Amino acid sequence: MNTQTIGINTQNIGLNMKSLKKIPFVGAVLMTAFFLPAVKISSEGISASGIKILLEAILKWETVNDGKTGIWLVALIAILGVSLISILTSSGLAFKLPTKKCTKYLIFTYVFNFVSALLILFTVTKAVNASGVIPVKFLIKYLSFGYWIFLIGSLTGLILSLRSAKINTGYVALIIMALIWLFPVAWIVMISFRAETGSYTSYFWPKTFTLDNYKVLLTDGSRFPFMTWFGNTLVVSTFSCIVTTFIVLSTAFTLSRIRFAGRKLFVNILLIIGMFPGFMSMIAVYYILKGLNLAQSLTALVVVYSGGAALLYYIAKGFFDTIPKAIDEAACIDGATKWQMFTQITIPISKPIIIYTILTSFMAPWADFIFARVIMGDNYKKYTVALGLFTMLSRENIDVWYTRFAAGSVLVSIPIAILFIAMQKYYVEGLAGSVKG
Amino acid sequence: MNKKKIENPLKVLASKFKWLGQTFRKGDILTKLSFIIMGLSNIGRGQIAKGLMYMILELSFIVYTVSTGVNNLIGLTTLGTTQQEMVYSEELGIFQVLRGDNSMIMLLAGVTTLFIIGFFIVVWISNIKSAIKVQELKETGKEIPNFITDIKSLFDSEIHKLLLAIPITGLVLVNVIPLFYMIMMAFTNYDVNHQPPGNLFTWIGLQNFKLLLLSQDTIAGTFWPVFGWTIVWAFFATFSCFFGGLFLALLINSKGIEFKGVWRTLFIMSIAVPGFVILLIIRVMFAPHGPVNVLLKELGFITESLPFFVNATWARVTVIVVNMIWIGIPYSMLITTGILSNIPADLYESAKIDGAGPMKIFAKITMPYVLFITTPYLITNFIANINNFNAIYFLTGGGPNSLEYFKGAGKTDLLVTWLFKLTVDSKDYCYAAAIGILIFILSSILSLFIYNRSGAAKNEEGFQ
Repeated sequence: MNTQTIGINTQNIGLNMKSLKKIPFVGAVLMTAFFLPAVKISSEGISASGIKILLEAILKWETVNDGKTGIWLVALIAILGVSLISILTSSGLAFKLPTKKCTKYLIFTYVFNFVSALLILFTVTKAVNASGVIPVKFLIKYLSFGYWIFLIGSLTGLILSLRSAKINTGYVALIIMALIWLFPVAWIVMISFRAETGSYTSYFWPKTFTLDNYKVLLTDGSRFPFMTWFGNTLVVSTFSCIVTTFIVLSTAFTLSRIRFAGRKLFVNILLIIGMFPGFMSMIAVYYILKGLNLAQSLTALVVVYSGGAALLYYIAKGFFDTIPKAIDEAACIDGATKWQMFTQITIPISKPIIIYTILTSFMAPWADFIFARVIMGDNYKKYTVALGLFTMLSRENIDVWYTRFAAGSVLVSIPIAILFIAMQKYYVEGLAGSVKG
Repeated sequence: MNKKKIENPLKVLASKFKWLGQTFRKGDILTKLSFIIMGLSNIGRGQIAKGLMYMILELSFIVYTVSTGVNNLIGLTTLGTTQQEMVYSEELGIFQVLRGDNSMIMLLAGVTTLFIIGFFIVVWISNIKSAIKVQELKETGKEIPNFITDIKSLFDSEIHKLLLAIPITGLVLVNVIPLFYMIMMAFTNYDVNHQPPGNLFTWIGLQNFKLLLLSQDTIAGTFWPVFGWTIVWAFFATFSCFFGGLFLALLINSKGIEFKGVWRTLFIMSIAVPGFVILLIIRVMFAPHGPVNVLLKELGFITESLPFFVNATWARVTVIVVNMIWIGIPYSMLITTGILSNIPADLYESAKIDGAGPMKIFAKITMPYVLFITTPYLITNFIANINNFNAIYFLTGGGPNSLEYFKGAGKTDLLVTWLFKLTVDSKDYCYAAAIGILIFILSSILSLFIYNRSGAAKNEEGFQ
């Protein structure tokens, strides 16, 4: 007697019994939801429950000859069947045998039911429209409360079963949000493999997949020399990254560590320049570069991207400010010059902010479009990737080049995304420091 | 360029003149002569190299002024007098272009000359400083630094000159001169009807501002609605992103979520891709025949396409929501994650011991702490959103266009995107420049507000 109680108790450790006990009720609600109207069209006087749709669809099975409809129907029946059985068994288990294994089964049940509720939403239109049970198209518009109870009920069941297993229910929100966030990224990857050209299609899923879009970009440079653009951007970003990093670090070091006459004035001037919209001056920049015989060249882009880099000193200065002054003083007593302080003390201990500066300045030319457009004009050979990709979307190119634009975007995004993800730690550190300061 | 903010610039200028006068009185004959012949005092007292450099600079400045500088300055005041004309040439029997003045080049040359004069004044003052210093060193019998020690001092006590030389050169070339040039342009009539070299433009004072702000013209009827929408946009973009990001960061940070790093990486995927790519993708996604509408139609939710970027109100809401979800929230999640990790853990522990629930902890500890730290960041972000060119230009291109608006401006245009359109599409440079100045005024009012709020500005040395 005693040992048995203990046995049950040890099995219950780590479970939230309060939530677990509620689960059979949710199961009961879901079961009744099958018999409530799932579809209701008042204008046609039709009101059908989940079971009824299922039964009628099966009865009409004979008259449906299209093979595809058959597959949809079988899928629908299988999903509904598994839902029914899993709800019944899991509710029973929750009532009779509340163990850890049972909660795992519960979670599985409700994940399945929630997903299947969504899947039914996606498939029911096609299946039922084709089988002719209900003579009206756009079925989902007429989904009735029985269906919604099933959807919301299975979500509640999922949350309860996660709670009973003491797993953070935030996962549900995170997964749903992550799907929304990743949707555009996933979609562009899909388009890049699409064989049908054109920017818009009347269907969502591509009919055929191909690698040609990538092949054209990588090998055929007759119309748009993508590989040249890639090389251009690489050259520009490498040089502008070197110059920018040097400028940012020396400005930030000077403003953080050295007190000199006119320092306050210089900071104020930087502040004032920073408040004008950055590209307000681009026309003038273009003519100055033209006067220096640099227009339509990659050097011009390097000058434009890195020339104003002093304005970006703020984050690095925030970082340098947090280095204790005592280090400088100690070095000064040991006879170090300021130059040695900069190169041999400050720089070696500022790895995060240097990496941050290098990566951000390296990535900037890959994303900029405004200055590249003004400076390069129509010189295709000297375009950067961003400008080139944008050109592919112009009215006369978009029909042929849209899927290739997608492929190009994927090719550019892969290295940049890797760099960005590698950088995020430094980004957080750098920004948190400067926000604080 | 007298841009000092806090002190009265006139007083500063007066004290500089006073200093010049005193120096002149104190100086011996060599120093006094240095006021005219630069570097004389240095050469006379042994600093040959330095003195020669001053002399060469002065000589080249004089040559420049005589050869082109004077003409440039005159050109700056007139902005050209002879217009380009077609003249019938008897010999060739055709009309020939007789080249006139190019106001645009003249304005640019004039501005450059002004900067060269400014640079020369700086050199001249440094020459006088150096002249009196070397005189004083000689009088007190101290050792006079030679050229090599001067160079050495660049690596030590004068390191700011060495380190800031390249940043300042870059800044002047790429930012300051062009900006100055554009600011001047706001006071001319350089619009589409006054395009050099065909036509001349000239100074018209404050008329552009009057036209933009006070007139009954369509351009004023465009400016005020665009301005209003810019503020509304900046407000919603800043706060929706901030609170969304805070919520997401708290969710990922909460106890029991495994693989926090993986989750964060998933959510920043959309900003890891270059910004314009993701924005262009989303633009196509929400187009009338784009995949979102196609998907909704295939599923039977809608029969007609939703006018995401077609209807003005829809477009404004869509832009705010899209920018929030795919751009704003990931960024502010990263930042708030950093801030949240800095909140002292003992605050939470003592709150728990006192029996505070999670909602109360959020309201009484997390929120006040995060808001306290991020107020300056929020205002900077607000300014950044006023200037958020990419989000609008790539998502909607400013559209849907409106007939009530000045050529080409649309219902989702911000002041910056309108500025861009005025420069690149319609070539109304003077209006663009005036709008740029107005944006600057708006941003600086907000920045003054930050300056007064943030302890960082007042207490710069606090952390060291």
